[in-house]
Amino acid sequence: MAVPRFPTIIIDAAKCTVPFACKKCLQACLQSVFSVHAVKVERGRETDPSEAGAYGLNAGHRDKCTGCNDCIEVCPEDAITITFPPVEATA
Amino acid sequence: MNWVDEAFGDPEYGEGRWYLNPKNHSRQMYKIKKTGQKAAAYGSDPEGTSGRMMGEIMQKRFTDPEKFREEVKEANEMTTKSPFQIGQVIPLQEAFRVAELAYPVASMSCICRIGARGQEERNEHEYSCTGLGVGMFKWERWPERYKGGVNFMSPDEAKEWLLKWNKKGMVHIIMTFGGSYVGGICNCDYPDCGMIRNRVDYGVETGCLKSPWVAAVDYDACSGCGVCVQRCQFGAIKFEVTTEKTNIDQFKCFGCGLCETACPTGAIELLDRESLPGLAEVW
Ligand code: SF4
Ligand code: SF4
Ligand code: SF4
Ligand code: SF4
Repeated sequence: MAVPRFPTIIIDAAKCTVPFACKKCLQACLQSVFSVHAVKVERGRETDPSEAGAYGLNAGHRDKCTGCNDCIEVCPEDAITITFPPVEATA
Repeated sequence: MNWVDEAFGDPEYGEGRWYLNPKNHSRQMYKIKKTGQKAAAYGSDPEGTSGRMMGEIMQKRFTDPEKFREEVKEANEMTTKSPFQIGQVIPLQEAFRVAELAYPVASMSCICRIGARGQEERNEHEYSCTGLGVGMFKWERWPERYKGGVNFMSPDEAKEWLLKWNKKGMVHIIMTFGGSYVGGICNCDYPDCGMIRNRVDYGVETGCLKSPWVAAVDYDACSGCGVCVQRCQFGAIKFEVTTEKTNIDQFKCFGCGLCETACPTGAIELLDRESLPGLAEVW
């Protein structure tokens, strides 16, 4: 059986600061690879999507990434880097 | 019977189904006096805890795929001790029964849709998840979990609301949220719903067990219109070109009933899963 080829997906949090407000990659990805979650949760108060660093983005389903690069194209901040292992490494 | 019914059902209520047993609904817990000790869940965050455990197991897909498969298998077999949340697909009529039994019932934003697509649901016209039980009163303390607020509903309003999402094509999943009590009826689709995705893509069964029913097509009544095909979130329905009728793989069917509620000729029937020897153990 072929070994699955997961890419490494790095999201630069210094560039992607307000993912819940931006959400471009979340909505563009055909494979729904990304997810957003609140990093800052306070009692009695909703987290503010426009506050830098209050939400984080991850590529939890990167095992479903096809490498189409749609997310990279829509990202206004150039925050996403995707690297697949070379073909020989998984042969 | 599935293992959840065996562990948490009571034959006196709702044909022994766990989600129709009043003891699994939180308002009943307030009748139980706990003398001398704090309740086990006091001050804890069962949803968060189970979420983190789940996250750790899911992370092993990348770090140790073999271990991941082992842990999922164990979790699926561990019955009551499974670290995964319990969830079961139910058809609309069963969701209606729960809406009568549970108190309070409220609509709220869906945490899976926030996560998967960054979808904000700010008011009762946008909320897509149903919260059940006294846990809902926590919304004031943790507004981020109940982002956008909650909308308490009467049983009749709740039914109308469930029907709305059924018409749109959402699957109803009755859920616990890490604790031992029924916490919500999620309105789910693939890939946004974490429970459906975990089951369909990764074989995690406990959060998305199949319903006690299974769909069956009456070939004589089926006109071949194809409406049912787009209703299935589980890929169980194909249009059979040869016969010009719909074909349902009953082993793939989760018994959500969405195809049945949409079929214009009434050609789809939900059969009792356990009446079919080949499917009685397929949950
Ligand atoms: S490369 Fe394509 S499939 Fe992979 S995460 Fe980006 S949009 Fe999704
Ligand atoms: S598109 Fe770029 S900036 Fe926007 S949420 Fe995605 S990674 Fe962050
Ligand atoms: S919706 Fe009903 S009539 Fe139409 S194809 Fe499906 S089963 Fe047949
Ligand atoms: S075949 Fe019908 S009842 Fe079965 S999972 Fe698909 S839509 Fe639901």
